[in-house]
Amino acid sequence: MSARPRTLAERQKAFLASVLDERAPAPEGWGNRQAAGMTVYRGNYRSALMGALADTYERTALYLGPEVFARASINHAIAHPPGGWTIDEVGAGFDQTCAAMFGENPEVAELAWLEWAMLELATAPDCTPFTAQDFASASAEFGEEDWAGLRLGFQPRLSVRLVAHDLEAIWRALPERREQTTLAEPRACITSREGERPTFTLFEADHAPAITAMQEGASYGELIGVLLDDNSDPGPDDIQNAAMRAGAMLGAWLGEGLITAINP
Amino acid sequence: MAIQPDPIAPFSGFGLGMRRPHYDDFLAGDVPVDFVEVISENYMIEGGRQLRILEQVRRDLPVIIHGVSMSIGSAGGLDEDYLAKLKQLEQRIDPLWVSDHLCWTRTSAHNSHDLLPMPLTREALQVVCDNIDHAQSTLGRAMLFENPSSYLTFPEDEMSECDFLSEMARRTGCYLLLDVNNIYVSSQNHGFSAEEYLARLPLDRVRQIHLAGHDPATPEREIIIDTHDRKVIEPVWALYARALEMLPQLPAVMIERDEQIPPLGELLTELDRAREIAERAMEPA
Repeated sequence: MSARPRTLAERQKAFLASVLDERAPAPEGWGNRQAAGMTVYRGNYRSALMGALADTYERTALYLGPEVFARASINHAIAHPPGGWTIDEVGAGFDQTCAAMFGENPEVAELAWLEWAMLELATAPDCTPFTAQDFASASAEFGEEDWAGLRLGFQPRLSVRLVAHDLEAIWRALPERREQTTLAEPRACITSREGERPTFTLFEADHAPAITAMQEGASYGELIGVLLDDNSDPGPDDIQNAAMRAGAMLGAWLGEGLITAINP
Repeated sequence: MAIQPDPIAPFSGFGLGMRRPHYDDFLAGDVPVDFVEVISENYMIEGGRQLRILEQVRRDLPVIIHGVSMSIGSAGGLDEDYLAKLKQLEQRIDPLWVSDHLCWTRTSAHNSHDLLPMPLTREALQVVCDNIDHAQSTLGRAMLFENPSSYLTFPEDEMSECDFLSEMARRTGCYLLLDVNNIYVSSQNHGFSAEEYLARLPLDRVRQIHLAGHDPATPEREIIIDTHDRKVIEPVWALYARALEMLPQLPAVMIERDEQIPPLGELLTELDRAREIAERAMEPA
């Protein structure tokens, strides 16, 4: 039993410590009635967090099965008690918990990352993507310098990462679990929104560093440098090929509705 | 002392909490309710389908925004980011009113995401009143606060919950959201008379009533838990009827269901019963 808290702040700190950890000492003066009530608050806390994780990670839960998912959820909630006002935040970093717990099945962490990225998009600011025609009109008068300095604005909260598993196949097959989902080579998984609906697409791997660089403010000219990254002494053909690759990427991004502004 | 906010005009009617499984029903626009209530935090977002649906429903119905995370009893004060986002929602929706609970949910380090009980002390009352003054002044309007269900009381309590609520309303000019089920749950858990509790409240400050179901006590657990996952039980209907007899006018009355959400028709049947009881209770003697 700990000393009797004197101020409201001390009482609240001691109360919450007891909610989070049943081994925390009960405040002085507490009897069986308070202990019984505290059991209810502890149960409410845990079921609220488990419920929030189950809502956010519906597909990951299907993939893992209820018992394994519950174990992962409890581990995550204990290691990362929420601090923010929105309960959805409890799901932040769950992909890393999955990576640590299911090292033999790295596709689990990729699936969890994908679900979190989709949740983030669902409440992102609404936007109107540039169509290929919009872009053609906007860039019709571009000279060489305009192209080199061009910067792109992407959909708010668009995410990208390299994945080693066929998330499209895993996603489609659920609740069935496919055995062979490893990709021949990594792909860039890009999450975006079609109108109000979050979605994702797997692109060639070089889209990942390209989009990341441009989200961080790289210009179209600098993108060509990113695509030449492992070539310290590029010849004219290399530069020409990188420029063509950048053009193909730009076309793909416009086709998928990922771009919402130029020179934002 | 903060300036008392403008009064909230009474609104009489019957409504439901709008939850995701019923979005399509509400979008169709023919649900027989006078208002809907939504959980504020679900809409304190920047865009997407949920927000668009709320804006669409708002064109046809008054909307109440009801929060669970303001943490009005936190000794450390209110979360300014939270208040700013609530203000944005309030401006976007122009709700009938904004409400939350007499409780706390967090310290500066952690958030329980549960409605934790207030020690009923003079110090806690001052903290709550200061926080309400700040919230009402930020929102530019008076708020409603709901009596919570609680599962323990504190040895250091200096007053009853109804006296705490009365003084809170007197000092801040806030209004009350009377959760009849919560009164019943707490009265059973702590052994007080629900009717006496009602009689001690400033009933002219009540602008809304919540009705909900709860998880009853079991041989293993003496405590009743407020779960919003089933129908309203008979003793709660009876307490609701008694409350209506005591209130100066019919407030906004609604059924709350947050778990095991049934088809809309089941909730509308419960709401019809709330209407029938109100018609009988409010009849002139």
